[in-house]
Amino acid sequence: MNPVSTIKAIPGHVSRTSVIARHAFTQLVRMKVFYFLAFFAVILIASNFFNLPQHEGPESAGVNILRSIKSWSLGAMTLFSVVLSIVATALLLPKDVEDRTLYTILAKPVPRLDYLAGKLLGVLLLVFVSLALMDILMVGILQLRTNMVLTDQMAMAEARGWPAADIALLKAEILAQGPTASLQGAVFSVFLRSSIIASMALLISTFSSSTLFTTIISFLIYFIGHFQADARAAYLSGEAGTSDGILARGVTLLVSLVLPDFQLFNVIDSVIEGQVMPLFIVGKLTLIGLFYAIFYILASWFIFAEKEF
Amino acid sequence: MFLPRMTEIPPAVEISHLIKDFKTSFKRQPLRAVDDVSIRIMPGEVYGLIGPNGSGKSTTMKALLGLVAPTAGKCAIFGKDSMKVDSRNEVGFLPENPYFYKHLSGEETLKFYGKLCGIKGAKLRDRVKQLLELVDLSGASHRRIGGYSKGMLQRIGLAQALIQEPKLVILDEPTAGVDPVGSREIRDLIFKLREQGITVFLCSHLLEQVQEVCDHVGIIFKGKMIREGKLDDLIAIEDQTELILKDASPELVAEIAALVGKHAGAELISTGKPRTTLERLFLRETLKQESNN
Repeated sequence: MNPVSTIKAIPGHVSRTSVIARHAFTQLVRMKVFYFLAFFAVILIASNFFNLPQHEGPESAGVNILRSIKSWSLGAMTLFSVVLSIVATALLLPKDVEDRTLYTILAKPVPRLDYLAGKLLGVLLLVFVSLALMDILMVGILQLRTNMVLTDQMAMAEARGWPAADIALLKAEILAQGPTASLQGAVFSVFLRSSIIASMALLISTFSSSTLFTTIISFLIYFIGHFQADARAAYLSGEAGTSDGILARGVTLLVSLVLPDFQLFNVIDSVIEGQVMPLFIVGKLTLIGLFYAIFYILASWFIFAEKEF
Repeated sequence: MFLPRMTEIPPAVEISHLIKDFKTSFKRQPLRAVDDVSIRIMPGEVYGLIGPNGSGKSTTMKALLGLVAPTAGKCAIFGKDSMKVDSRNEVGFLPENPYFYKHLSGEETLKFYGKLCGIKGAKLRDRVKQLLELVDLSGASHRRIGGYSKGMLQRIGLAQALIQEPKLVILDEPTAGVDPVGSREIRDLIFKLREQGITVFLCSHLLEQVQEVCDHVGIIFKGKMIREGKLDDLIAIEDQTELILKDASPELVAEIAALVGKHAGAELISTGKPRTTLERLFLRETLKQESNN
């Protein structure tokens, strides 16, 4: 009698991928990555005391502090999420190969795509949880500070005998700088950008020979992604009207397909200024994020499936 | 009349004419690590692949597990092509010098591998407990793997290989770097697997151990299989007979020698006391010390 069939069932792709993802998350958590939250808290508290040079009247003083809190928080979130995405992804795959733990995993009935997807999702889960924790801290501080600014400014406006309409306008302006739905959209955009970067780092780590190489190349592509749109536009304007125009368009299209345009995420800066982030922008960024994540993971699989250990 | 053999059991391992070349630098010839190796292991057999370092043992095992793709030839496990994922449903593998995730405890490690094989809930808990007892690591189950000794690592490695109750276990140098006591424990585990009817395919360069546990042996050298077959057939010296006596007086030995001399063609090659192995002596003395304490 074969006792095997009594204990095991063939797991599906989703279940296997989630086992690997949860494991990668645990691995990173136990590397004590959450310690950076302490630094974030310090940055957040410090951002309350940064005095930006101001040219507006006293009614803008409070608003500037709110902008400063958002600016520093979203900046720190971007920094931490990008560094986490690149370093964690660049670390996980080569470590498994070096330690030969990969042999024991791939010797089980685990398709290579499930392994890659699991590792990536583990990193993304970590980034998501980190951003959620930072978001909670930011919203908490921002809410407190908005209430303080609102009380001060309302008292100032009433003391100066402002008309009711102007007071309502000032109130709306202050609240727009507080924790809004658009601010959550901006945090989500930070996450989407990290997802693209992490999946790109995964692709690089499938053919790179070291963690250092993956990290450096990933950061380079991240920076290139910030000016590739400008470079593309400049190049195309030069080629316009020439016979090479079509070829140039083809090349630039290919470049933009492989290298993401991170300028699309500059909408985050508008949110810091207090502008509303339309829902369709969030939808557009989500689709772009999904496109690149799927594109990069399929490309990673293409390379990893042929890899020998 | 020829009847199709519908009930024929597929071999646990079938490697046929395996060739594996590795690319070196651009202009140089590729390195042939395995050269036309064929191995057939039937269910329930314990097969030992022996050979010096760099002879192609590990590459053969990796090809069988789909970790490297054959340049030519085929590998199959219970009739399923090794390059397909489902061939690994019935296999457990312990690599040479395994390292597991240092951040996990022994119990978490087994649970992780169990979940990868689709074992869940109470079944997983029971199986993990059972395996920790089998490899004698129940006491260290909550300790992080980072603090495990070499022997403990090897034992947890064996436990993870067995997590889904595979029908075939592949062990690459299972006792490498382990002290004699740990080595004996691993050997006892292999005996237990054999008793349970599990097929074992192991490679080692510790010949005495292979001789003790394996019933079939293959000798691989520079990528080629140079000798293969049943262990008893391979090591028997056909023209010699062994006679071991207990409490025999020197007179009796002299009498036997004289009797042999009377038979034309027969020759007494040597007499003397059989020796125990250094390993057995070590184990006996350390166990004696332990029981005295």
